[in-house]
Amino acid sequence: MSLPTSRHSHSQYSNGYSNGYSNGYKNGHASYYKDESWAMSPQDSKYHPKFRKSAYARRRLLLKLGLIFLAVLGFSLLVSPSLRFTVFSAVGLGYTLYKDIPGVEYHDLSLYKGSATGWQKGERILFLSPLRDAEAHLPMFFSHLRNLTYPHHLIDLAFLVSDSKDNTMTRLTELLKRQQSDPDHNQWFGEITVIEKDFGAAIGQDFSNRHGFAAQGPRRKLMARARNWLLNATLKPHHSWVYWRDADVETAPTSILEDLMRHNKDVIVPNVWRPLPDWLGNEQPYDLNSWQESETGLELAAKLGEDDVIVEGYAEYATWRPHLAYLRDPRGDPDVEMELDGVGGVSILAKASVFRAGAHFPAFSFEKHAETEGFGKMCRRMKFTVIGLPHYTIWHLYEPSSDDLKHMKEMEEQRLAHEKEEKEKAEQKTRLEEGWDIKKDKDTWDKDQKEIINAALKAKEAEKGAMPSKGAGKDSGKTPDQDLRGSREGPIAHVDEPGVGVLTTEEQEKQGQVVGHENGRVKQNKLPVEPTTQEPQFI
Amino acid sequence: MGARLQRSSPMRLLFALIGLLLFLWWMIQPSSPSPRTLNINLPDNTPPTPTAALTPPKTAPGISVISMNNLTATADPLKNSERLLILTPLARFYDEYFENLLNLNYPRNLIDLGFITPKTHAGNIATLKLQDALRKVQHGPKKSRFNKITILRQDFETPTGQSEKERHAMKSQKDRRSSMARARNSLVFTTLNPTISWVLWLDSDIIESPPTLFQDLAKHNKAVIVPNCFQRYKENGVWKERPYDFNSWQDSETALNLGKTMKEDEILLEGYAEMPTYRALMAYQRDEKADKHVEMLLDGVGGTALLVKASIHRDGAMFPTFPFYHLIETEGFAKMVRRLGYQPFGLPNYLVYHYNE
Repeated sequence: MSLPTSRHSHSQYSNGYSNGYSNGYKNGHASYYKDESWAMSPQDSKYHPKFRKSAYARRRLLLKLGLIFLAVLGFSLLVSPSLRFTVFSAVGLGYTLYKDIPGVEYHDLSLYKGSATGWQKGERILFLSPLRDAEAHLPMFFSHLRNLTYPHHLIDLAFLVSDSKDNTMTRLTELLKRQQSDPDHNQWFGEITVIEKDFGAAIGQDFSNRHGFAAQGPRRKLMARARNWLLNATLKPHHSWVYWRDADVETAPTSILEDLMRHNKDVIVPNVWRPLPDWLGNEQPYDLNSWQESETGLELAAKLGEDDVIVEGYAEYATWRPHLAYLRDPRGDPDVEMELDGVGGVSILAKASVFRAGAHFPAFSFEKHAETEGFGKMCRRMKFTVIGLPHYTIWHLYEPSSDDLKHMKEMEEQRLAHEKEEKEKAEQKTRLEEGWDIKKDKDTWDKDQKEIINAALKAKEAEKGAMPSKGAGKDSGKTPDQDLRGSREGPIAHVDEPGVGVLTTEEQEKQGQVVGHENGRVKQNKLPVEPTTQEPQFI
Repeated sequence: MGARLQRSSPMRLLFALIGLLLFLWWMIQPSSPSPRTLNINLPDNTPPTPTAALTPPKTAPGISVISMNNLTATADPLKNSERLLILTPLARFYDEYFENLLNLNYPRNLIDLGFITPKTHAGNIATLKLQDALRKVQHGPKKSRFNKITILRQDFETPTGQSEKERHAMKSQKDRRSSMARARNSLVFTTLNPTISWVLWLDSDIIESPPTLFQDLAKHNKAVIVPNCFQRYKENGVWKERPYDFNSWQDSETALNLGKTMKEDEILLEGYAEMPTYRALMAYQRDEKADKHVEMLLDGVGGTALLVKASIHRDGAMFPTFPFYHLIETEGFAKMVRRLGYQPFGLPNYLVYHYNE
């Protein structure tokens, strides 16, 4: 028999097989059946034709079913919108909803809930900075921006420039343009929006105006309005996170966005301190708006009028609240979390869904608080998690207050006075030193010495004049020899060498005297002869 | 071979067909008594085009500088080409609603639309119906297209069903309205771009209003203004109308005192016999013969049709999702507006009409 090459021969095989099988079975030949079942093992060539045939039949059937299914599906897609939605979404065409319609955007907000590792999932952050007379801080601020490790293209920047009297606007656009034309594409940020809006702020922006107690209520309400305007104008459906950052932060970890995001909380703030000049103790808690509510705080709030605003960090309102700032341990675990009721606005990371749900910075007294503190309170009311990190610290720029400035002025005056004094002292000293002209003195001394020595020698000679000795040189040299002992020229062995035994004045100068002068003070040179009245001069 | 297959195939095909139809019927069937959400969950599982989102763009995005100092919201919006944002929480899509929307005669190139749909079966259906409706408009002549349309899908679950009975059960009111407030906030705070001057809230069941609705309301030049919302119904074959929205009111001593005795997280509701507030409801202040433009001060507002100056929303006025002075959603909104130092107004004789279920 030739090898089966056509479908026909296959089916012949299979027919024969199946007939034989069923016959055998029907006839009740158990042994035959057994044999057959053994023969049905995959190795048996007889098995395959049947298999292939049924596969072919099944394929045709499936094809028909598939066609019918598609037809029915197509029809029902036309008829039923809900099915269309289901099917399209299930096969990933959900994003194509409304794609064909000009001017229409469709966003499923569930996509933008925010997660712990947003940078891996392409979650966009809206980075918000309210600016006012901030020109001086901008270069520092931009260096922080450049250093951020969160993918820059996922960060949308938005600024609000309000009531600025300096060149904040021009400087800002200049820096932004430079940033977006950086040769390194990874430096480019996402969408950038600069909003200009003046609120007619009557309150000055310098530190003492800003932080004076009486100014706090209205000031905070105004700041709150500014923040809300910025947020509402720039928050888009596709943002997963919102990050608030003040321009005057001096030092912050470059990975701050990831570090805060990793906690996956609705609202999270780091601790904010500021460096101080050493006369003020080097460092200080800065942001006292991050706190936990206390009994005292609630009691105080109950006593106040509807429009009053409690501001933290002023003696006028002693709330005894636990402040995030004071709980810092420089060596503490930076991941330690603390629940908060009020938050400060220097650096807030919040899920966009928090703001979408309606949380904002109350520009009125909300539970006796406004702006960021009111925001914290409102988030708690709306059952969001509000967390602070006591041991994760960023550093606010130190701006001296007017008291500090006064103190610094005084200190400066003191310092100047001190410097003047020092200078005078130094001058006096140099004058003294100059007046005490060593070289000149030395010449005089040398002269004097010479004279004295000569005088002494003469006197000795005169004394011993009657008995001249051949060893006169030696005798007379003995004393100088002994004097030389211990001096740098010192070795006594030199005694008998010619020219050493007797010190000539020149030699003396070279050896003993000069050495003595090296230290600025003549130590030795006990002269061989009396009088020694010269000595006190040298001491 | 053929004989065998053909013998069996009609039966098999029939079974398959029946199975298929059962499956389809199961999929298509309208929402069962207990509201069934379509468990799509696609969004939660798949981030939007991850590779595209993770690679930096080829060209640097530009910088837009927008001055909001000259943004106005005046009594004559058309003269100043002021932009209007119409916002609709879209639980159901009614053709009459959309027709009425298209009938508004403010230039469409000055109008942005915003919709938000719940994460429910009904919401999905509404989305697709809206898509079909918008396709017609936006593919029409340039002049008749809306400037921009944003459609959002909620990122949170809607607590209860939307049938009339369930909606008005007092117990479920707080949850329902809280969820509604959140939807409204999600909508306004993501679509309110810096060029918008006015926001008109128009519920998806407002099916009839004067075509000049926006201009008429804007003419009063108020921070917040709300028309009276009525409903047409048929009684003994005669069309009549009755007040529908009871959320616009002037406060009463009774209500204020009632509020004082309540716990912080309890809310005052209007229109329930169990809780008589004796507030002066705008719905009952209508005088057919009087001037349509008579104003009245309001302490609470309804959201069926509500015109708000955009700057009020920008200042932070939102729809509280929690009891705010024992008020929630649009009524809480009115309270917040007043806390921010503005005054809501109502027009008792100016009517819009609600759908009758």
